[in-house]
Amino acid sequence: MVEPPSSATGDIAFNLIVFFLVCASVQPDSGRQQTLPRSEQEEEQQSENIEVQLGRNTVMLNGNILRQQDFAAALKRALNGKTRAEDRVVIVKSKADTPYHHWVVVTEMIETAGGIVTIQTEEEQQVVVPGG
Amino acid sequence: MKVKRRSSQADVPSMAMGDIAFNLLIFFVILARAQDDSHLQWQPAAAEEINATGTAKVAVLIDNDNKYYVNGQQVGAAQIADEVDALLGNAPAGERIVLFKVHREAQALYFEPAIEAISEVGGDIVHVLEQKQE
Repeated sequence: MVEPPSSATGDIAFNLIVFFLVCASVQPDSGRQQTLPRSEQEEEQQSENIEVQLGRNTVMLNGNILRQQDFAAALKRALNGKTRAEDRVVIVKSKADTPYHHWVVVTEMIETAGGIVTIQTEEEQQVVVPGG
Repeated sequence: MKVKRRSSQADVPSMAMGDIAFNLLIFFVILARAQDDSHLQWQPAAAEEINATGTAKVAVLIDNDNKYYVNGQQVGAAQIADEVDALLGNAPAGERIVLFKVHREAQALYFEPAIEAISEVGGDIVHVLEQKQE
């Protein structure tokens, strides 16, 4: 029986490593791009914009609680006739315990309906009472 | 009397070439691992429509312990904006992609400040997601 020369062991190991490295690095990431308007734009327009509030499993559109399957249709109705980009801004307010998978589903619905997602965090939601 | 000069040979033994290449490779793999986040524990959220993300210089990750990582290095919430800004540098619009990898169960308390930090420094967020199974 002819054995491979032991001097080639290093080369064999080298080629094996290169093979596994190439295999491991060819899986590309996939996902969804999201452009968020800058916060100064948001401040100017927030009074007229559509508001979506997210809880752990709930979704509210302009204060009305909805089932997730009804949300897309209701949002489409709310965006109907709004042609200017600034009117299509949808402010998303999330409760601290809102899970990311729920947030992703709802923001995907907003973007599919033609809305422009912008987020408002807990700090920005605090109401300052004058003279308080 | 003439003394003949002896020539000495100092070659790198060709037998060791494989070992040298092997060690070099290990060195570069370890160096690359420092910027890699494949060892971190997280599960992507699902979405119906996803696209290939292309290449990005920066990846922000929130793992299943709600810890923040920028290109595989653990950072605090307050450091995300500075770290991302430094990595993006003066890259023009369209080349400021930031891969955003968040564990599916992470809460808004943790992922919203990160989104805000990335958008504050002009990063184009790409949420890394998996295709929703029907």
